[in-house]
Amino acid sequence: MSDAHATIIASLEQLAGAFQASFDAAPNEQLLRDENAKVLGKKGALTAILKEMGKVSADARKSIGERVNALKSEVERAFDDRLAGIRRREREAELSAPAFDLTLPARTPAPRGHAHPISIVRDEIVGIFESMGFSVFDGPQIDTPANNFDKLGFPPDHPATDMHDTFYTTAGHVLRTHTSNIQVRAMTTQKPPFAFIAPGACYRVDSDLTHSPMFHQIEAFVVAEHVTLAHLKGVLAEFAERFYGTGTPVRLRPSYFPFTEPSAEVDIACVFCKQSDGARAGCAVCKHSGWIEILGSGMIDPLVFEQCGLDPERWSGFALGMGIERQAMLRYGIPEIRLLFDNDPRFLAQF
Amino acid sequence: MKASFAWLKQLVPHLPDDPRALADRLTAAGIEVEGITAYGQGTETCVLAWVVSTRPHPTKSGLRLVTVDRGEGSQEIVCGAPNVPEPGGVVVLAPLGAHLPAKNMTIGRRDIGGIVSEGMLCSESELGLSDESAGILVLPPGFAPPGTRLNDAIPETRDSIFEIGLTPNRPDGLGHIGLAREAAALLGVPWTRPDPEAPVRQRDGSAVDAVSIAIAARDRCAHYGASVVESVTIGASPSGIRYRLAALGVRSISTAVDVTNLVMLEFGHPLHAFDLDKVRGAALIVRRATEGEQLITLDGVTRALAADDLVIADAEGPIALAGVMGGASSEISASTTRVLLECATFDPRSVRRTARRHGLHSESSHRFERGIDHSDSRDCLAQATALTVRLCGGTALRDAAFAEGDAPAAVRVTLRAGAARRVLGIDITPAESKGTLERLGLRVVAESDEALTLEVPAHRPDLTREIDLVEELVRVRGMDTVAAELPSVRPTRPWGGREALLRRVRGAGVALGLSEALTFGFTSRASLAAMGAPEPAVALQNPLTSELDVMRTSLLPGLFEAASRARRHGEGSLALFTTGVVFLSGEGPNALPREPAMFAAVLAGEAPARLAKPRPRDVWDATGLALELVARLTREAPELLADPNAAPYLHPRGAASIHVHNTRVGVLGPIHPNVAEALDVDPRALIVEIDLDAIAAVGTRVPHYAPIPRFPASARDIALVVRDDVAAGLVLGAVREAAGPLAEGVSLFDRFTGQHVPEGHVSLALRIVYRATDRTLTDAEVDQSHARVVAAIADRFSATLRA
Ligand SMILES: [Zn+2]
Repeated sequence: MSDAHATIIASLEQLAGAFQASFDAAPNEQLLRDENAKVLGKKGALTAILKEMGKVSADARKSIGERVNALKSEVERAFDDRLAGIRRREREAELSAPAFDLTLPARTPAPRGHAHPISIVRDEIVGIFESMGFSVFDGPQIDTPANNFDKLGFPPDHPATDMHDTFYTTAGHVLRTHTSNIQVRAMTTQKPPFAFIAPGACYRVDSDLTHSPMFHQIEAFVVAEHVTLAHLKGVLAEFAERFYGTGTPVRLRPSYFPFTEPSAEVDIACVFCKQSDGARAGCAVCKHSGWIEILGSGMIDPLVFEQCGLDPERWSGFALGMGIERQAMLRYGIPEIRLLFDNDPRFLAQF
Repeated sequence: MKASFAWLKQLVPHLPDDPRALADRLTAAGIEVEGITAYGQGTETCVLAWVVSTRPHPTKSGLRLVTVDRGEGSQEIVCGAPNVPEPGGVVVLAPLGAHLPAKNMTIGRRDIGGIVSEGMLCSESELGLSDESAGILVLPPGFAPPGTRLNDAIPETRDSIFEIGLTPNRPDGLGHIGLAREAAALLGVPWTRPDPEAPVRQRDGSAVDAVSIAIAARDRCAHYGASVVESVTIGASPSGIRYRLAALGVRSISTAVDVTNLVMLEFGHPLHAFDLDKVRGAALIVRRATEGEQLITLDGVTRALAADDLVIADAEGPIALAGVMGGASSEISASTTRVLLECATFDPRSVRRTARRHGLHSESSHRFERGIDHSDSRDCLAQATALTVRLCGGTALRDAAFAEGDAPAAVRVTLRAGAARRVLGIDITPAESKGTLERLGLRVVAESDEALTLEVPAHRPDLTREIDLVEELVRVRGMDTVAAELPSVRPTRPWGGREALLRRVRGAGVALGLSEALTFGFTSRASLAAMGAPEPAVALQNPLTSELDVMRTSLLPGLFEAASRARRHGEGSLALFTTGVVFLSGEGPNALPREPAMFAAVLAGEAPARLAKPRPRDVWDATGLALELVARLTREAPELLADPNAAPYLHPRGAASIHVHNTRVGVLGPIHPNVAEALDVDPRALIVEIDLDAIAAVGTRVPHYAPIPRFPASARDIALVVRDDVAAGLVLGAVREAAGPLAEGVSLFDRFTGQHVPEGHVSLALRIVYRATDRTLTDAEVDQSHARVVAAIADRFSATLRA
């Protein structure tokens, strides 16, 4: 072995014995890479050693070459191991650093808006009826007395109209007192069978704790052949189960509306004092009766069919109408109707 | 309508003892008992006592010691009442332990100035028998033996009163006989209508001799009956009658008037009592008034009559508004000696028109409007006559006088066999139908397998058609006897078409951070005028207040009112929207108004910020809201057009209209300071108004798939300083134009003034994203394009480029 050969081998061995310590000492990835470059880089120790290769024989070069390759592998493996160790330690350190302060205000994607409680309830009710096959029939808030009263069978000069204190326009039209004008519009323009629902604003000259001069109703009606009171009850029962919750029985009490006969007020079993066994304990909302009145309904009066040009011997139907305000007040425990129309932001933000 | 359970039980002895049970049955059949109140609650324990002696209280002035005999012994009671009767007088004693809910008191043993009192002598108000009383209740000497229970001595002192919410189709329910008949029918118990009692004193003679009766308006008055009682003494009614009336909410006036009220409460048929000596010319004429004729009614109001009003006139002029209210001139008074009782049948519509015309809703008009039972007039009159003699003394003339107008025809209705099944979905046997209807007072006049023909009694004017009978059948058997069944509904297509859009608009408004308001359809001319909204097209004849007398032509007044109120409450930050229709002139005379749907929003105050001070809202909140809303609704890219005249209520510096494909769909901008001042709205408020019918006309674009870019994009920034009166949009537009098709997007990402930017200038920083659809752009290509843009912009806007 020539001197040069021996020197190179010695240098390589020295390098082999030293790099691990320097790698281990490197505290982070950058310094580790620096140490790695000092060994394997263009200006590193290995390159410097190999500059002496010209001084050795071809045979020696071969054996040196084998040694160099082995050393390179050793260094690379050591580098990878150390790098992995550093990264693991850094991740562990990051994971155990102090937690983010999640009590700081959240960054909301968009400010929160609020639908009006009347709209929420309205859309829900419309949705229930739509899923039962009803469709919305949109009609005007100002209508003729004929559509609002006469064709619905309101007798002239009759106390039945006392139930509807009416706003009249100077042109002799009325602000509709109920959404039942839509019944007339449907019956005079559409060919049965049909099933419509008519949500919308109505007006009566009335303003107190439970009455607003403008209020909202939803009317649902079916006109077809062979429709009976049993079908009205079926739809009411289905509506009550879906809107007020399963296990909400419905009760019909005979009543009077000019445009339906038989007519019925509809009560649901109180949803506020329901016991686990389904019985009702009685509470302030239901005035300890266990029942809450929610809407009026009935079979469409044959007279209405006649007035609308439909043959009452062929066509039959039912109609039901409810005040949306009442449903919203019941559901949300709103004590005064006025709150629904004050548009106080502090009120609206609750829904 | 108030009804006495005791009275009903007297008429139908087989009724259940529990008022609640009867109330439930009535309610289930459509005679809704809304509540039951106890009358005279606490009187059960009270007894009658006879005054034995009285002496002053030894130490307390104003108090007396009354020794009373209460049957099982005597006791001394301390009493402060001014009207303690002489010995022998009968008073009411509430014994130790009695509870009187009317004054919420329980009688305890009390030491009053050294005298122990174990009981109380009661007044009517303490007993809950009347609202007020001047002293203790004193009954005539010998009224009943001492120790008699008050309830036994005067049964009317204890009752359960039904508050009935009667529907207008059931006039028969406005009297106890009608309710008794209904209750008996519902419960299936026997019932007979009581015959009128005979007067205790009568003489031969006829009312005809005392007064002549003529019906001039035969179509308005089917029947007029009158009786006469002579030599009466008008005074106060006995306590039993006063309590019965008080329990039913009727004020006791005098014996003669109380008689008419009692008979009305019994038969449901209003009567009137005249002072016969005040009837001029001894003549009664039922006629239409002449226009402008005057009558002073019992309430003291002078009424100018209309030709449509029906009156009772004497020889000289009107003395009563028929069926509505009597006249003052012939009113019963303490000096009345001859009473003329009227029991007539007036046309319901006529009575209603008169009552409404004169704003006079009386117990009488209430009943006539609904239609009274004309078949019982003679009985009614007979009962009133007998009762008058009983209460007022005097002597009745044996024969009443009658005049007949156009008699109402008897009503017959046929009920076909299948009618119940057709309407109710259930079968009702002919036997049941017949039984139910007969119990309700209908009479079968023809019967076959196919049909039942019945004559309707006069007390049920609501039964005129087959459907009315079907309703009776289900009403009596109960609606719970009909099983629920879901119909098979054929799906129907929506009509009118705005529902879906309005639902989307509300959803979008909420999603964009707004709260939904609901505002009234009517508003004031003043607020519409103050904001320069279109002139109102619809005015109200009878507005709620004289101010709110037109229908809105803009949604904004309602929102402004909410904003103004919120501001007064110190709620500065506001983001409200509403949707609804406005009312504009229709086309053609007599046409209904048009009702286009609108969206309106008002923003005011500060927008919340995160970990920073809230930021005052500005016009760009309005542009952002408007553009985003329209984009969400139409799926198009709307355009904003600055326009100082976009709307009169917008600030000219920030007013703009918003367009989709050249269709103007709305306006937006800051509120005009004049409007803000006039309507007390935050002067920095912002307005967005969208015409939803225009949005509907534009429609919602259906997106068409575009290939997803396959090649990477390169971005280049450009910063330039331009004069500050150059609109940023102009610069952006110019950049887009100069960059050509390779520019996929141009955005402004910074804008500032000050620092190194010269006075009157602004620094804009833009980013241009370049991309080709068919290849990856080389740096050289991008640089070349970008250089062209930079040069063009610098040239066009005399812009200084910044590093
Ligand atoms: Zn309850």
